[in-house]
Amino acid sequence: MSKNMSKKAIFEREFSIVATLVVGAGALLLSFPLFFEEAVGEIDWITIPMVAFPILGSIILLALASQQPRGMKEKMAFPVKAASLGFSLFILAISSALFFGWLGSIDWTTLKINEYNMNHEYTWINSLGISWHVGLDGLSFPMLWLTTLIIPITMITTWEENSGWYHHPLLLLMEGSLIGVFVALDMFMFYVFWELTLIPMFFLILKWGGKDRRYAAQKFFLYTFTASVIMLLGLITLYFLQDPSQYLIDRGVLTGRTFSMIDMTNNAQMAANNGSVWLGESMQNALFLMLMLGFLVKLPAVPFHTWLPDAHVQAPTSGSMVLAGVMLKMGAYGMFRLPLTLFPHALAEYQYLLLAIGMISLVYGSIVCLGQTNLKRMVAYSSVSHMGIVILGIASMQPLGFAGAIFMMFAHGIISPMLFSVCGSFKHHYHTLEIGSTRGLAKASPFLGVYMMFSWMASLGLPLLAGFVAEITVLVAVWMTFGWWVLLPALVLVITAGYYLWSMQRTIFEGSGEVVLPEGMAVEDARDISPWENIGNLLMALLIVLFGVLPWIIWDMMSAYANAHFYFNMGGLLNLVAGGA
Amino acid sequence: MIDPSWVAGLGVFLFCIGLWGAFTRKNAIIVLMSIELILNAVNLNFIAGAAQYGDATGWVYTAFAIAIAAAEVAIGLAIFLAMYSQHETISLDEVKLLKH
Amino acid sequence: MMEANELAILIPVLPILAMPVILFLGQLFNGNAKWKGFWKEGGTISTAVMAIVFLLSLWLIVGHVSAFSEGSDDAIVTDVGNWVSYQLFTEHGDMKAQDLGFGMQLDHVSVMLLFVASFLCLLISIFSMGYMNTDKINENRNHRFYAEFVLFCAGMFGMVLADNFLWLFIFWEIMGLCSYLLIGFYYERPSASYAAKKAFLTTRVGDVFLFVGLLIMHAEFGSWDFSVVFNAANIGAADAGLIKAMLLLMFIGAVGKSAQFPLHVWLPDAMEGPTPVSALIHAATMVNAGLYLVARMFPFFAAPAMAGELSDVALLIAMIGGITAFMAAAIAFVQKDIKKVLAYSTMSQLAYIFTGLGASLWFVNNGHDELAFFAFGASMFHLFNHAMAKGMLFMASGSVIHEMHHAHHHLEHSEGEHDEDDEDHFDAQDMDNMGGLASRMPITAIAMAVGSASIIGIPLIGGFWSKEGIVGSAWKAAMYDGGGLFIIPAILVLLTAGMTGFYMSRMWFMTFAGKPKTEVAAHVEETTPFIPIPLVTLTIMTLGGIIFAGLNFAGWLGENSSNLSLSHAPSHLWHEITHAFLALGSDGKIDPLILIITWTTILLSMVIGPFYAMSLYGGKLAKGQKAHWSIAWIVALSGRIHSSYKFDNSVWAESGLSTALRNRLYFDQWYDALMLKIVVPFSYAAAWFDRRIIDGVIKGIETGSQEASRNIRSLTTGSARDYIMMAALGTLALFLLIWGVA
Repeated sequence: MSKNMSKKAIFEREFSIVATLVVGAGALLLSFPLFFEEAVGEIDWITIPMVAFPILGSIILLALASQQPRGMKEKMAFPVKAASLGFSLFILAISSALFFGWLGSIDWTTLKINEYNMNHEYTWINSLGISWHVGLDGLSFPMLWLTTLIIPITMITTWEENSGWYHHPLLLLMEGSLIGVFVALDMFMFYVFWELTLIPMFFLILKWGGKDRRYAAQKFFLYTFTASVIMLLGLITLYFLQDPSQYLIDRGVLTGRTFSMIDMTNNAQMAANNGSVWLGESMQNALFLMLMLGFLVKLPAVPFHTWLPDAHVQAPTSGSMVLAGVMLKMGAYGMFRLPLTLFPHALAEYQYLLLAIGMISLVYGSIVCLGQTNLKRMVAYSSVSHMGIVILGIASMQPLGFAGAIFMMFAHGIISPMLFSVCGSFKHHYHTLEIGSTRGLAKASPFLGVYMMFSWMASLGLPLLAGFVAEITVLVAVWMTFGWWVLLPALVLVITAGYYLWSMQRTIFEGSGEVVLPEGMAVEDARDISPWENIGNLLMALLIVLFGVLPWIIWDMMSAYANAHFYFNMGGLLNLVAGGA
Repeated sequence: MIDPSWVAGLGVFLFCIGLWGAFTRKNAIIVLMSIELILNAVNLNFIAGAAQYGDATGWVYTAFAIAIAAAEVAIGLAIFLAMYSQHETISLDEVKLLKH
Repeated sequence: MMEANELAILIPVLPILAMPVILFLGQLFNGNAKWKGFWKEGGTISTAVMAIVFLLSLWLIVGHVSAFSEGSDDAIVTDVGNWVSYQLFTEHGDMKAQDLGFGMQLDHVSVMLLFVASFLCLLISIFSMGYMNTDKINENRNHRFYAEFVLFCAGMFGMVLADNFLWLFIFWEIMGLCSYLLIGFYYERPSASYAAKKAFLTTRVGDVFLFVGLLIMHAEFGSWDFSVVFNAANIGAADAGLIKAMLLLMFIGAVGKSAQFPLHVWLPDAMEGPTPVSALIHAATMVNAGLYLVARMFPFFAAPAMAGELSDVALLIAMIGGITAFMAAAIAFVQKDIKKVLAYSTMSQLAYIFTGLGASLWFVNNGHDELAFFAFGASMFHLFNHAMAKGMLFMASGSVIHEMHHAHHHLEHSEGEHDEDDEDHFDAQDMDNMGGLASRMPITAIAMAVGSASIIGIPLIGGFWSKEGIVGSAWKAAMYDGGGLFIIPAILVLLTAGMTGFYMSRMWFMTFAGKPKTEVAAHVEETTPFIPIPLVTLTIMTLGGIIFAGLNFAGWLGENSSNLSLSHAPSHLWHEITHAFLALGSDGKIDPLILIITWTTILLSMVIGPFYAMSLYGGKLAKGQKAHWSIAWIVALSGRIHSSYKFDNSVWAESGLSTALRNRLYFDQWYDALMLKIVVPFSYAAAWFDRRIIDGVIKGIETGSQEASRNIRSLTTGSARDYIMMAALGTLALFLLIWGVA
């Protein structure tokens, strides 16, 4: 029937579908506050625009496009992509406005622990004590902003890849779930969004991935899911260990308990102020380990890291960029939000275990990196190595170390997508990821060469680029706490430089004036990256330079959070220092 | 009156025969008959109990069991009829559709 | 002068801003004739920026010098602001707030380095406009060169002006990056790509040690600011053992950056970069960064709290210096490539400065302040002289190479063949292909002669004033109680003086004297524009070293509280001359040891070394060729000696020692073996371990669960009888369970 319809008729049908959906969705979204009792009276800029909007928007786009007759589906690719990009830029605008303080008076640097900006709560499942509770502080806001930056950049960079009509909406869905993770202040909500992020990533790998994508997607999903289930066990245990008699607000009607993180944190502080170890020492240690397991697998930390190389090698460029850029940081974010805030005693107890894990991740990750021949695998292991620095920052138990770890999350979150976009462009234009199968590419693809060198240099911690501030702050903290152990990370700096430079030498340099291409590729086919890839990479490069030269833009709120964390936990820690050790 | 324990004993005896038949016989109808035997043995047990304790509940259970057994036989025979028309046999050893 | 201070921030910032401009314009106008012609693909921008920076630096310097001579004691400081603020949780259970800031400061040493850096950056930028832009191989990519060049200059200026160690380190790394980029400028050559990687990684090894040293510094002092760290009271409060460890670690960083033994392997390979790069980075500025760092360690050695504790560190510094000086000079004996000779010469001369610094640090640590200041001043003055002379020498060698290339192309063109590949076969840098160029390239020949003289230490020319000071200080240290081991570097440095005389003269004579060894050399002409400008300027500067001596430049550099003696220049000059030739001490009496040492050095370096060089490599010019009068007599002398005193060195030339030296004492082979045979296979093994064993556990779980599932599935036999049995047994089990519970 569609073949007989005129273009005008098709357009009218489309328009009416879109209009209905938009109006319906808009009405639904705008009436959202009416369905739920509001606990706070300000405008909630987080829930609708940043969480509901991308998720529902992507579902609408997917529904819209999938309902088209077969011939129209290819033509839907461009409008769907444009709409997704538009949505994500809108969200970026809001988050930036939050950052610069244009939406209400916001100060990120004076928050204490358990104080949040944009704190909104809506009752959800009252009987179990689950509420829709969102809020931002100096820890979650950089991550939020990072997400809203990286998703549009990813969309731009992978614009031209022949990825059909549901690739970009999946990215949008990804964005919504990631934002949900970072703004959630209710443990149940946190877990829901945590698991929700796995789904679009699974499909991204499955649909557009490499040869072994089925295996990699399954491994990724099952591995992280299993660890998350252990984390869930910890969360539920934590939930049930709450004392029902302590609640004044009528939540959790059925069970007498609540999933709210704010309440948990208050309980932890009350216990610390009394000088006791909250929930008992052994229980606190057990809960700490359970929660940390879930987060360490996500981070990933050695020895739970083997899902990452496979996932990255098989994933498409956009999947890798988002996975490495934001999803890995969820693990570290979760660590800060839950175990580190609630269980300071357990942190002190397991400090050396974390040191060991961090050191091993860092050193082992970089040595294995040196022995890789697949470019993407090499970058994946370098991610493992850099996340080791985050763990080291946490293990140092210094405000400087914490702030440095958070800054590393942010810096790596910008550098890593650039690394993977370079790899992706490499694969896209030269059909191979084998290091050493090409030479002298800088002659044929100068922009690719420049971006590769820039991102490689940023990743190895060149000063005035974002990674350096993170490394130096964490290593200062590591020296202060662990002394000469810091020689190992310093050694890793050399190894990192080694594998990056070696890979550059074997791919974009040499060649004696000729471009040596992999088997079966003609010289005329060698061309430079497309304008879209160029813009995306340039944006990332500018951001890396910006945060390298002017780190205080984002450092101040991270440092304030870390300091507040220490003031918060110092009550408990002081008792430990004075009484225990 | 007969000592109810003898009735119960008969019930046990018939139960064992029925169980053995259900385990070992190939022919589906024989298995069905064995299951009927089991059910009747249980009925005997109920009667014995009713007689022993003078409680009418035992009689009620017996009536229920008889009705359910009858219904079950009807369904079982229907299944076996369908099985025969499909596979030309009612030997339980030869029909293994549910094998992994 | 407040205005100069406020504008000081422009000195590093302006070149940094120029970099993206050059890159952007180069990308936009690549291939455009006007961009190549007037704008020199960015060269004009680079030179203009360098000129502005040079003027700013001069203004700043003049302001500093005049303020200082008027009695103001503080170094001029500009505090730009905070970079990163944080808090630390101390062991006392409280929180301490700190921040890392960025600011600028000037004192005598940084004034000198700022002048050297800005002056040489300007001159080399001018040189590049002639060198790079007239070579076809560089066409359409010079903008990359100039962009990386200005970034490097920014790094150097930033490092010199920084007022804390963090920013010193940051700019140090930026310079390392630019060195990597510029050495690998001809990236299509495997040798260049390899050399760039080698340079970066070798200096990186040094850098990480420096990094750890800085971490220790931060922990002990709570800050990286010079004002905090150099404070004697703070040093006293810190842990002495950690301070010593910190200084050792920082020294390793300096060793890497300044290409001293054992991290020296990158410098000869760095000659793969274009000659302006070699001149600027690897002679005059970046390699001085290590020396600057060691010079900045002076307050630690001077602090009363550390008196006597750091003697072995100082001794180590001098030892490394002595060993490197001797080793590098020996290797330079057999080098055929003109740039390699200069590279090893740089290594050797930097080692001299390290020896001098080592002696100075030892003196100050053991309470001999006067001697310390003298040695320090001599070392810094030597740095100054060396930078000027070596920069000029590299530029002159660049001129030679450039003209040889042109001559080669001319010959190829005139014969009708235009074989592109032939470039690889004709090495324009090989001195065996040169000869007799004194008459054809007068400016270059004079420049090279003066530069060589300065390096050798010919009396009254630049290097002489400082070299004597270093050698003398080393010997003096050896004579003191506790400094006995200084005799080793002292002897090495003395021998090296003679060796320097030999190999520098050898280089000059092989290139400029005698008859041309190839047809190419016979057709060389000095035609390239821009190149003569820096050569002439620096020749004058080097010859004018005597003026600096008269201004008590060395003394001014040595002691931070001393003045340049502007008014007493002539009398001070006489003082310097008598001090140098007659070894008159401060008490007016002749010091016999120093007298012997001085004259031995002069004898070795001015007479014996050049004599042997002349006898082996000298020679009259070809018939009809006439050199400039200032060097004609040298050539004639060399010809006379060469013909009269035949010296058979074949025993030496074919010996095992010679082979070893030609192979650079096998250090490269050892390091390569370490990397390729140990580190890389280890990483392959680690990768295997990760894939097979750690991932093997996961795969094992996967296989195991599949096996278990398969086994359980076997329960579903499909037989109804089995299911009946299972149902019955299950019911029985349930009953037993309930019975048991009840």
